[in-house]
Amino acid sequence: MMSQTLDQILEGRRSQPNQLIEVLQDVQENYGYIPEEAMRAAAEGLGVPLMEVYRVVSFYKAFKLQPCGKNNLIMCMGTACHVRGAHLLLEQAVGQFGVSPGEVTPDGLFSVEHVNCLGACALGPIVRENGSYHHHMTPGKLRKLIEGLRPHGTEEIQHVKA
Amino acid sequence: MSRLNSYRELEHLCKRLCEERQNITTTVMACDGPGCQASESRAVIAAIRNELSQQGLDGTVRLRATGCHGFCEQGPIVVIEPGNIFYCHVAPDDAFEIVYQTVAKGEVIERLLYTDPVSGEKARTESEIPFYSRQDQQLLSLNRLVDPCSIEDYIAAGGYSTLARVLDRVAPDEIIREIKASGLRGRGGGGFPTGRKWAECREAPGDEKYVICNADEGDPGAYMDRGVLEGNPHLVLEGMMIGAWAVGARKGYIYVRNEYPLAVTHSRIAVEQMRELGLLGDNILGTSFSFDVDIARGGGAFVCGESTALMASLEGGVGEPRPKDVHTVVDGLYHKPTTLNNVETWANVPAIIQNGSAWFASKGTKGSKGTKILALTGRIKNTGLVEVAMGTPISTVVFDIGGGALNGNPIKAVQIGGPSGGCLPVSKFDLPVDFDVLYEIGSMVGSGGMVVMDEESCMVDVAKYFLAFLQDESCGKCVPCRLGIDRMLEIITDITEGRGTLKQLDLLEELAETVAETALCGLGKTAPNPVLSTLRYFRPEYEAHIKDKKCLAGVCKALITYSIDPEKCNGCGVCIRECVHGAITGEKKQTHVIDDGLCQKCGICQSECKFDAIRVV
Amino acid sequence: MLQYVNVDIDGAIIRAIKGTSVLDTAIEYGICIPHLCHVPYLSDIGACRLCIVEHVKNGRSEITTSCTLNVEEGMVIMTNTDKIRKLRRNLAELLVAQAPNSRAIQDIAVRCGVKEVRYPFRNDDCVLCGRCVRVCTEIWKARAIGFVGRGKDRRVDYPFGVRPEFCKQCGSCIQLCPMTITPCDGPMKPGEERLCGNCESQLIIADETPGSCVWCELGEGFACGRYA
Repeated sequence: MMSQTLDQILEGRRSQPNQLIEVLQDVQENYGYIPEEAMRAAAEGLGVPLMEVYRVVSFYKAFKLQPCGKNNLIMCMGTACHVRGAHLLLEQAVGQFGVSPGEVTPDGLFSVEHVNCLGACALGPIVRENGSYHHHMTPGKLRKLIEGLRPHGTEEIQHVKA
Repeated sequence: MSRLNSYRELEHLCKRLCEERQNITTTVMACDGPGCQASESRAVIAAIRNELSQQGLDGTVRLRATGCHGFCEQGPIVVIEPGNIFYCHVAPDDAFEIVYQTVAKGEVIERLLYTDPVSGEKARTESEIPFYSRQDQQLLSLNRLVDPCSIEDYIAAGGYSTLARVLDRVAPDEIIREIKASGLRGRGGGGFPTGRKWAECREAPGDEKYVICNADEGDPGAYMDRGVLEGNPHLVLEGMMIGAWAVGARKGYIYVRNEYPLAVTHSRIAVEQMRELGLLGDNILGTSFSFDVDIARGGGAFVCGESTALMASLEGGVGEPRPKDVHTVVDGLYHKPTTLNNVETWANVPAIIQNGSAWFASKGTKGSKGTKILALTGRIKNTGLVEVAMGTPISTVVFDIGGGALNGNPIKAVQIGGPSGGCLPVSKFDLPVDFDVLYEIGSMVGSGGMVVMDEESCMVDVAKYFLAFLQDESCGKCVPCRLGIDRMLEIITDITEGRGTLKQLDLLEELAETVAETALCGLGKTAPNPVLSTLRYFRPEYEAHIKDKKCLAGVCKALITYSIDPEKCNGCGVCIRECVHGAITGEKKQTHVIDDGLCQKCGICQSECKFDAIRVV
Repeated sequence: MLQYVNVDIDGAIIRAIKGTSVLDTAIEYGICIPHLCHVPYLSDIGACRLCIVEHVKNGRSEITTSCTLNVEEGMVIMTNTDKIRKLRRNLAELLVAQAPNSRAIQDIAVRCGVKEVRYPFRNDDCVLCGRCVRVCTEIWKARAIGFVGRGKDRRVDYPFGVRPEFCKQCGSCIQLCPMTITPCDGPMKPGEERLCGNCESQLIIADETPGSCVWCELGEGFACGRYA
């Protein structure tokens, strides 16, 4: 996807405070996270106090203050997925990566996050990875999926106590 | 297509589109809704498109990628007219046969038909399938008639003719009278009488008014609004415009949650197409009515489904609710009178105005009219989106439509209404889907999410799940919600980890009641419902966790052990290999054993064992 | 030109200034409604929920915060019913269990009738009342601090966690903070938190004449309307 610059993102929206969330959405899509520079530019360009920009970024889950891993696994924690065992999947992923949701593995390859509902409830549990939806997941299938994403030759992190 | 300047021109366009489509002999409607997408419907559609071209049929055959058909468990779904032939579990490799046999020659492919799990009989059309025949699909059935990205489809099917007639000859007050008489109540969870809301907004002083479509559908386990907005955005827009005309608004917003990028895209495309035709903008269809719509995206916050939080978010700020001592129909978005309604509520409007309030009111019960779309999921055979007349008993939905228990496990409860709703035991399944009845017994219809639970679901765990969800999503402003939910979760966690006391149950109830009475917004006020309803109907499970330190459903990790059934284990070694904690030992062809000290209860062994030999006790 | 309306608070017919809140009116007339996040010269946000009252209309009573409810002609308000007292007590209990290391919070607990704390004590140093944020935003318009995060992770912080150059260290935030007034026996060490219920005299007043002012630490310098 063509990267837009901050100027391009702010174009047509300058001095319109109500465009803050739209601007941040575009920044998130283009950069994978919200850099401090982008927050300052948004504050100045839209006429929103810097404190307010920071507040909005920290409030909404969609905006991340750090980039995520190369492979970001999104696990659905919705009710339908939960009653079909989604919590076991999250623990499985956290154990395999050795990082908590929201963090990135030291090699930058993996991160996991949980979402409250992906809207495909009939086929849960659902795991989304790089745009693909995997349905009817089990801990075993998930372990194989993660191993498949690992580049050849890298060692599996020892499974840690969940 | 050029701009439409009058009602007449719309009629002509509709007529022309219908004539152009007369040479289409066969229509293939392939579902591309939320469920089917997760099962690779895109690949199926691409394959069919390819085959149609290869076999030279793309001139007389129309392939339409549609929104949700409802039977998500059986997806990907393809329906073929003429004949209304219903194929399920379609794979891309089936495309050749579908085109060669069914499309070209009208022959049915038996193996792609739905098979009744009890009788073994094959069904040719939907009407032969109980999942469908027991429903009353007023809104969902429209999905197959339109490609959501084609305004021509919508107009050819008669779309916008109701709006045109309204703008031409129906006064706003009359619209409001009709909506009031229909008994339509909000479909997003509040169940507030729509007609009354519109009337109050119309009467509020001020020239600048807004209409908003709440597509923030945050209830986990609910995707009805996604099905309607992604599948038929024009229906929602037409409803919004009729409403805007009625209350006197000239600007509207559709606020779509961040997790639904496709709904955002389809809405944007729809709005663009409307602008091209002059159905949005100034002097629509040559009348004095000017109206435009913007699509706004959420930032990933469940609390933004609350109306004041949604408006704060639209204004570019954090989604923190504010006290509603003055209603939003008077003081709403930018402090102007605002009518905010749910996707499904707006979607019901055109049909009510077209067919009349009496038609709508003839369905349902005294207090709850019309139909309701439910997202039926969880531990039952048939999951998907279903639409039933209000007043339908829960048992019909769960057993007749839902097909009953999955894996033969007896069904224990149904959770209705998302995190604001409650759990009902099987003994209450004779109750109808009705706003007031369900509210009286401690649950609610809510947005329509219906999750079925069986003996392997722990009701204490369910309450804990919802509390954790709400704790994560609370905005944190007010004390009862922020601290109250936290402490309720602390108590329930104690209970699920074997540290609970009976005194804590009383405290839990008292705290739950305090939160319900004093919280600032709907999220906090209804947060105690899962706790209160499970305490009311499943108290023995709580007591078993406390007194016996046992989780009978086998869910609460601290209270369960995984063990291997010696009668079923044949010593194949798969679980030993799969166990990453080295907790299983055993010789080949000998019963394997799990060391409880090393076992982390991750569940991998159970999911990999092909002999069903691993049990949770 | 001031306009007046007549409201019924706890049976007393009071002449209130139109456009003011029920809480302000009550305090003006010496009816103490406990409050924490309310400060006379700052906006009211209804966050602490301590100032709840029963608003009787159409034969039903609605529980709402008196700081966000504006007076209207003929309004009927009850500030001290059994139900309200119980709810307030439970809310104050939650607060003191969360942040016992503050004389102001302990006094609120006494005033609201908390006799025992049924939750494990924590030792938080902020109750998120928002006084500091509002004084920085509304009076000084500096916006050097604000609420960040959501739910359990909600906290007061600077942008990017670093004090900006436009914070002039005026100290208003510290002055208004309820946590800066330590209990008279000094700070409570972790593990030693308790409901202090100090000042026997205050307890007796609170018991014998419920609803009366205990001259709690919310007073002087802390901008309780009673001291104005």
